[in-house]
Parts: sequence; structure tokens; C-alpha cells
Amino acid sequence: METPVLIDAEELKALEVALYSKGVQTKEKSIKTILFIFASIATVIVFLIIIFLFTLGGDFFTKYSITDFFFGTSWRGQDNRFGALFIIIGTLLVALGALVIAIPLGIATAIFIAEIAPKKLKNILKGAVEILAGIPSVVFGYFGRTVLKEWIEFSFDVSIGLCWLNASLLLGIMALPTIVSVCEDSISAVPNHFREASYAMGATRWQTIRNVVLPASMSGITAAIILGMGRAIGETMTVAMVSGGNVVLPNPITDVFSGIRTITGTIVLELKEAVGLHVEAIFALAIVLFMMTLIVNTIANIALSRINRKFSGKTKKKDRKLFDNLIKYKNFSNFKDFIRKNKKIIKRIIYFFVILWLLSNWIPILYALIAGVSLFVIIYFVRKIPPKFKQIIAYSFIIAMSFLVLLFLGILISNIVMNGLPKLLEPGFLTTNSRADKGGILDVLIGTLMLTGGTILFAVPIGVFAGIYLSEYAGTGKTIKVIRAGIDNLNGTPSIVFGLFGFTFLVVPMGTFSLIAGQITLALMILPTIIRTTEEALKAIPQTFREGSLALGSSKWQSISKIVVPTAMPAIITGVILGMGRAAGETAPIIFTAAVFVREGLPKSFFEPVMALTFHLYVLVLTYPNAQAQAGGTALVLLLVVLFMYTLAFAIRLYYQRKKKW
Amino acid sequence: MDVKAILNERKESNEGDKSQKVKSSDSIILECRDLNLWYEDTQALKNINLELLKNHVTAIIGPSGCGKSTLIRSFNRMNDVILGCRTEGGVLFHEKNIYDKKTNVIEVRKKIGMIFQKPNPFPMSIFDNITYGPEVQGEEDPQKLEEIVEFSLKRAFLWDEVKDRLNDSALTLSGGQQQRLCIARALAIEPEVLLMDEPTASLDPIATAKIEELVFELKKYMTVICVTHNMQQAARISDFTCFMYLGELIEYGETTQIFERPRKELTENYITGRFG
Repeated sequence: METPVLIDAEELKALEVALYSKGVQTKEKSIKTILFIFASIATVIVFLIIIFLFTLGGDFFTKYSITDFFFGTSWRGQDNRFGALFIIIGTLLVALGALVIAIPLGIATAIFIAEIAPKKLKNILKGAVEILAGIPSVVFGYFGRTVLKEWIEFSFDVSIGLCWLNASLLLGIMALPTIVSVCEDSISAVPNHFREASYAMGATRWQTIRNVVLPASMSGITAAIILGMGRAIGETMTVAMVSGGNVVLPNPITDVFSGIRTITGTIVLELKEAVGLHVEAIFALAIVLFMMTLIVNTIANIALSRINRKFSGKTKKKDRKLFDNLIKYKNFSNFKDFIRKNKKIIKRIIYFFVILWLLSNWIPILYALIAGVSLFVIIYFVRKIPPKFKQIIAYSFIIAMSFLVLLFLGILISNIVMNGLPKLLEPGFLTTNSRADKGGILDVLIGTLMLTGGTILFAVPIGVFAGIYLSEYAGTGKTIKVIRAGIDNLNGTPSIVFGLFGFTFLVVPMGTFSLIAGQITLALMILPTIIRTTEEALKAIPQTFREGSLALGSSKWQSISKIVVPTAMPAIITGVILGMGRAAGETAPIIFTAAVFVREGLPKSFFEPVMALTFHLYVLVLTYPNAQAQAGGTALVLLLVVLFMYTLAFAIRLYYQRKKKW
Repeated sequence: MDVKAILNERKESNEGDKSQKVKSSDSIILECRDLNLWYEDTQALKNINLELLKNHVTAIIGPSGCGKSTLIRSFNRMNDVILGCRTEGGVLFHEKNIYDKKTNVIEVRKKIGMIFQKPNPFPMSIFDNITYGPEVQGEEDPQKLEEIVEFSLKRAFLWDEVKDRLNDSALTLSGGQQQRLCIARALAIEPEVLLMDEPTASLDPIATAKIEELVFELKKYMTVICVTHNMQQAARISDFTCFMYLGELIEYGETTQIFERPRKELTENYITGRFG
């Protein structure tokens, strides 16, 4: 028999050399290392923030008793009395109030978008929610101080409309986008065959939503609520502008028309005048704030990371436990069972509330009675009536809530436009420089654009490279988990904490407010947004593109830089523009780093302070009661700048969504 | 499985028939030795031993989830990109183990090209799709690149259809054209082996026929290994067939033998359609 012949010796030698050559491996490794460094910047910053807060704020506790700080009720900077109890409780009360508003609105809107709405309405609502997310917090504050204040004073007949209710209403609306988008994501993540199975057994759509979809997406909804709470706790400018200001506790505790003070509000209102121990006390407050948001975000992220595993089909032991819980929860959806199993707890909760109300005053009791009786009546009837009608009732509630969101957005925008339009149309408003509360707005507008542009220059390279690392190189190891946790927490860090960070690390060493300090601070703040959008954009590119490129003998970096990133470019640009919009609308990070109200023209170097629309509006609203027209015009310009960027981003996204074919 | 045994058997059964004799070009180009592969905790390939002949078409058949795609992807280390995938044993390419620690994966993939189940042209022009491979390997001469484009497209039977619109986006092509473009793209780097992972699974019958015709042509220049779900296709295009079931290689032999006189009951049950 003839033995099969191999290729000749020379060719074999050449093959061997090629196969075992080093090739581009060293280059690939160094690229990976560089990308890793970019990816870890966010986490390093979180650690820096923690260290900085604890060294500065920690100093305070060596001079002031911890017990007095946490349980003292009197906060007077000028007398060196720093009892923060009412401020901490105030923060929680405002956040809880916001949740009371945001939870029904948010969940209902999310259900409407994900499950019920026809496609056109769905897009409109989604757009509305995204616009809501883009409206700067000073604009909300301005709205609260003008329209909402008067509405509260008029309809509830109270003397001052700057109060807990005002703050909670606005914060509730501001927390909506977070809640809606996270809820919607988790509802949409429920695989369709769950729904089909339910329909196949003759369930109505509402029964399917209630008994299958919602229980399955429960952890996501929980995470959404917690994240919304984090947003409400960390929100700064709105609260500082509308919550009234005095460090008091509502008396009785249910008095929503009382003024209230939060941690963020205290920091903004007092830091500039503070000296000595007072400054350190404010940093101690910032620690409390940071820890609150850290805890809230960590819980939310744990909940979120569970959903991702739940539907992936890989049932590890941990997940199986989760699945059992899910089934248990489903059984709980039988209301009577739930009550029977938790009789004791429910009784205690009811007693607690009854006592609480008895302790306050009789009007709330009346309200509670009416609400309780009607709730009972509703539950009684709802349990009796056929599923078809139940669905109608549920749908009308959901639709009403969704339209409420649209209505609010409409009221907000139309009021800003109406208030600002006369000033905007005034000749010279857009083309002349500002003179404190008079004159035009040109230099202020350019100042905002300079801040935003610089921010992007800092944030985009870091953010995009970090996003590439996370999407293309990161495994599932411990280091990556730490990095991801760092990015998540940077994302949840309140903007005012960034402001304090920038103030201490950039302004104090440089001795002055400066453009560059503001840009760097803003860049840190939008970094997580850019990292995340880049990562998502890259992950959306089908794996077959990468494999196609690798199979042609390209290196990993070649396939990323030549195929994956160019294909994902539109989505990355969208993310960058959204980041710009956010940077343009922020106040808290620049209030202690870059922004001044009056200056001669534009900064000539990076090391001079700058004027910005957000800060301009803030000062006008707070300290120039006679400059309402000027404030209105500024608010409108700010809104237009931000909305322009958002619209641009959406347009790019829409254009490429239509174009893409894979 | 030992290809020599198969060849010997063919020789014996066709004693006297000169055209069927083992040719000296029948050399082994790829060989699996005790190949085992795991995804996380599930074993997808179990102790595969297989020798593949140069300049022949080998088809890999078997029911869904039997490890066909996994096996073919292990020939150019495409499984490396899957997280949690672990390989033991080796694949020898010209007797060199491509799973060796110091192997340069990029070189392996240059020699062993791959076509995927779904056509995956890059979202760029037809021309750029073809030149992508040569370019990432450092070819810059525009003259040369144009030659490569024409040569590859002709070889993939696509030249006449696209020669007037080389600058159009590759995504404007039909599914069958896209798949032939992918083949042309793979041919542009002149691989010795072409792996095809269900190349016609997403195509209509006419486009499928064109690809099959192309495969027939291709084996003049290279070795083709083709995973397919379609048994008629395997019978039509391949010289050798291996049948896999639950991660194991059940039977390997000449295509006519596998389809006419399968030795294993499992093989017979599968090709007669009793399961699958």
C-alpha cells in the first residue's frame, strides 16, 4: 500500500515557523493592559471619593461627638451646633414622598410602554420619558418656585408653597425616568413564551401581566424603585430651590406643607458661607449622603444582576433558589393566602399606622378612613367582577397614569416656554453679553458650551476605551466585578458629591474656580454614562461580525477597531451627545468648581472661572426676585440647549436604526 | 478514526478498479487526537479521533446539539471566543498541534478559513469586504488588492453579478450572494482548509445549489469540511462523511458507504430518518 504523503519538508518548516511565531501577541497584550487601565479609572475615582470624604469628614468626628451629630436636633452653623437628625430625616421624608408619587406613575407607565401601548404611542411615551430625564434640575427648581409654588398656595390655601410637598412632587417626577426605564427593561426581558403559555390557558392580557409578567420581573421593579429612591436622595438643586429652607421637622410629621431640609440642600446652601468646623460638618453630611446612595445602589445592582441570570437558561444553584422564590411569590398573588400567611405582620403594620395617625391630627384620619373604605370597596368588587372588566379597570388606571406623565411634561414645557418666550424674542437677548441680572445671555450660553465641550474631551476617550474593555475583553472574574461595581456606584453618586470632590481636589490646590476644574468634575460625572452606552452599543453588534473577522486571521484588536467599533459608532455618538446634554444641564458639580455669576466676558484660559446657564438661572431665581423675566428667558435657553442635544441624539439613533440591516 | 483503514478497505473492495485506487495526494491534513471539549460543565465533544484528507470534501452530519458545529469550530480555534469553553487533546494541522501553548492562533486562522451559518458580510462595501483579510495581514498595494478582489470573486462565482457595483454596501446583496461573498472573502487569504458551518442553512434552494456547485469546484484547490443538517446535501457534495451523536463520533467513512451500508445501527436510524 502507498503511504499517504505529507507536504514536503521545506513547506513544513515554514508552516512550523509561522504557527509558532509570536506575531502580534505582545501588541495585543499591551492594548488589553491599556484598555484595562482606562476601565479601572472610574473605580479608582470612587475609591478616591470615599477616601477623600472620610479623611475630611472623619476629622469632624474627632472634634464633634458622633451622638450629637446623628441625634442632635439643632443645626446652626454660626453657633457651631451640628445636630443633623432633622436633616437626615428630612432627606428620607422627601425621598419617600417622591416615591409615593413616582411608584404608581412609574410602574404603570412602564407596563403601558412594555405591554399595552400601540407602537406609535409607545415611542411617544418613551421619548417623553427620555426628555423628562434630560430636563435640567435647575429648570425643575425654577418651575417649582414659580408655577408649582403658586398652585400649592392657591389650591391648598397655605401661605408658602415652598415645602415638602413641592419638593417631593418634583423629585417624584424626576425619579420617573429611572423607574420607568429600569422597570420597562425588566418587563421586556421576560421571555415571550411565558406570556404565550398564559394566553394558551385562556388568561386575559391583564391576568397574564399580573400573574406572570409582573412576578417574573419583580426583582427588576424592586431595583427600579430603589434606584429611583437613590436619585431622589441625591438630587440637589431642585430640593435646594423649593424645599423651604429651615432645619425643622414637619409638625405633625404628616404635614406636607411644612418646609423641610435635606442633606443636599444643606450642602449647597451653606458651603459657600461656611468656615472652620462648619465646613467639616458639611463634609460629614456628605459622607452620610454618599453612604446612603452607596447602600441604595448596591442593593439595586444586586437585584438587577439577578434578572440577567434568571432568564438565561443557565440554572445555577443560586438561581434555582431564586426561581423557587418566584414560584412562592406567585402563590402569594392569591391575596387571601397572602393575608392569612402574614396576619401578624399586617396587623402590626395597621396598628402602627393607626397610632401614627392618632398621634398627628384628625384630618388625616378622615382621609385615611375614606381611602381605606374605598379601597376595601374596590377590592371587594374587583374580586367579584369578571376578568374582562378587571382588565378594563386595570387598563384605565394604567393609561390614566401614563397620560398624567405626558400631561405633566406638557405643563412643564409649556410653562417654561410661555415664561421665557417674551424675553427670548427681545432683541439682543441672545446676542449681547450679560450684566448680572440684566442684559443678554450670549457669554453665559457660550460659557455653558465651553464647559460641555471640555467635558467631552476628557470623558470620551476614557469612557469609550473603558466601554471597549468591558464589552470585548472583560471576563467574569473578581476584578471585573469590582470595576463594574465602581462604575455603577460612580453613576449613583450624587452630583453634589462630585462638586465637593472637585472643590477639594482641584479648586483648593489651584486657589480659584476654573473652567478646567468644572470640566474635569463634569467629566467624572458623565463618565459612567459614556462607559455604559459604549458597552451596550458594542454588545449590540452581532457576534458573527467578530467571528467573521477573526476567521480571516485578524487579531482581536483589528477586529474591534476595524469592524466592531465602526459598526457601533452611531450608537456610541448617541451616547456621547446624551452625555453632553447631561453635562450642559448640571449645576451641582460646577457650583463649587467653575461657575460664577458675574464676570467680564469669556474666560481667556482654562484657569479662569466661567459663567454657565444653569448656575445663572439658579442665582437669578434665588437672589433676584425682580428679575423673573430674565430667569424665564435663561430657563428657556437652557432647556432649548439641552433638548437640542437630546433631539440630535435621538435623530441619529432613529436614522441608523432604520438603516441597519443585520 | 483511522483514515488509512477506510482507504485500505476501499482498495480491497474495489480490487482491480484502477480509478478508485488511493492516490498519492491522499495525505492527511487535519487530525483530531483525543479531542475533548467542555462548555462550563457540559461536555460537548467526547474523545474525538479523526483524520481528514487533503483536497476532499468531508461532511459532518448528526442531529441538533450533537457537537457538529463545536467540532468544526475547534479546527480553527474559533471556540476560543466562547467564554467558559475548555479544550483537551489536540488538533493536528500538518502534524502540528494547533492547541499547543505557543501556537499563534492568527496564523492558524489564516491557513484554515471559515464560513458561518448565517452570511455575515461586514457592513461595508463589497470591495472592502474582500480586501479586509489581506489588509489586516498587511497587504497595502492597491493594484494587488484589486487583483485579489477579482480573483476571489471569480472563484466564488460572484464576479459577474457584482463587478459593476463593487462599491455598494455588501448588505444590499441577497442572502445567497452574501454567502458567496463570505466565501470569496475567505478565499482572498488563500487558506488551505475551508470550514463551512451549515453554509446553506439560511438560504433558499437555488442559492443552495449554487453554493454546492461552488464547493465542488473548490475542492480542486483546497480541503473543505462542511457541517450540514441536510443529509441529501452531504450525500451530494462530500467524499467522506462522519456521523456524530451526543458529542461522540459514531461512524466515519466514505460517503457512499455511510449512506448505503452504514455499519452502526445509530447511523442507519439517523440516515433513514428514524430520529433527528
